[in-house]
Amino acid sequence: MVVVRIPSLLADQAGGQGTFEVEAATVGEALRGLPVRDLVLDERGELRRLVNVYVDGEDARRGDGLETPLAGAQEIRVIAAVAGG
Amino acid sequence: MGVLLLVGTRKGLFLIRGGANRSSWELEGPLLTGWSVFHAMQDPRDGNLYVAGNNFVYGGTVQRSSDLGQTWERSEGLGLPEETGLKLEEVWHVEPGHESEPETLYLGATPGALFRSGDKGETWEALMGLVQHETREQWQPGAGGMCCHSIQIDPEDPKQMYAAISAAGAFRTDDGGETWMPRNKNVAADFMPDPFPEVGQCVHKLLLHPEQRERLWQQNHCGVYRSDDRGDDWERLEGNGLPAGFGFPLALHPRDPDIAYVIPEEGAENRVTPNGRLGVYRTTDGGASWELLQNGLPQQAWAAVMREGFASDRNDPAGIYFGTQSGSVFASASEGDEWMEVARQLPPILSVEVGEWS
Repeated sequence: MVVVRIPSLLADQAGGQGTFEVEAATVGEALRGLPVRDLVLDERGELRRLVNVYVDGEDARRGDGLETPLAGAQEIRVIAAVAGG
Repeated sequence: MGVLLLVGTRKGLFLIRGGANRSSWELEGPLLTGWSVFHAMQDPRDGNLYVAGNNFVYGGTVQRSSDLGQTWERSEGLGLPEETGLKLEEVWHVEPGHESEPETLYLGATPGALFRSGDKGETWEALMGLVQHETREQWQPGAGGMCCHSIQIDPEDPKQMYAAISAAGAFRTDDGGETWMPRNKNVAADFMPDPFPEVGQCVHKLLLHPEQRERLWQQNHCGVYRSDDRGDDWERLEGNGLPAGFGFPLALHPRDPDIAYVIPEEGAENRVTPNGRLGVYRTTDGGASWELLQNGLPQQAWAAVMREGFASDRNDPAGIYFGTQSGSVFASASEGDEWMEVARQLPPILSVEVGEWS
């Protein structure tokens, strides 16, 4: 079981829920289980360019991206990159 | 029933409720905070609100509300098929389908994409006849990306539709969206080596007159045009009274097909209202001549109105409405003769549409 925390804008799109407990073997599997999967992943199932994902504080892109294994992981944080205006 | 203005901004959606006589206005919002509302409309068939909303990080979405914005549902699975080699960038315009098809909606998007929903926006399917059009290699993006921003449906025949893309031009389908014909004859593309190509024109807004189905109007990068034969041919109009042919928004009178409104800008290289003031230009003779309307509008202004930022209601006299990039909404309950500012200091306004509330 891993806890996934999403930003408030995404929580608004998930009926106000900002934390999810999911059973998943990889980062991708965990994200695909979220009600906001389409906002985090694009139509090819790839992580959107300005969405960052941290597994227990480690950037998943520096691991195996969506294939990063979750064995023993406690927490996934979805965070928007600093961008926009 | 009162007039409900749906005002899409860079930072959420605002609703402005008009009182009796359209002389008092009440602002509500922002709704959908965090989303850039490129376009919002109320479906006249069922009263639902639809928003084409984009977020820099999370992409383009369509949001629907059946309770005037209190709660929202998001379309899921919006995207372009892998075989196109394209990915959805931004959603630009959501259009109700024909009256006889109450579940149908259309969605225009970048890059040069048109979608149809047959279930009130739950799911969307790309119209491949346009997305993979044989002329696509000749299309190029305008400053706003290669946006499909205008979708018009023939009031009598649901299989006849128009779509306009910057900068690909105007297209018509006579078979319900399977095949699309470029309809850009005599529409200039001054930025191309051939100034009258088959495609590549930079349409900024295209509208069909609801009471005269053969008549289309377009505000283009290179002029204002009218067609009286469903887009087969176009006539350029801005010779008599318009200070410039360049502009983005366009509004039509709800009943009289000879009345249209534009808000020109100085030109492509200086995108502000001409002569340092804000003026609406109206024709009442099909574009043969234009008059400046400025009663109640600021006389010192360097404003800009985006392509979706202009709308009319169906009252008599007709109400005309627009919103500026500098966050003001102006309303006229007298077909443009007199104007009042009904909101100011909003975020940059991207769209204005008219609905109703009770």
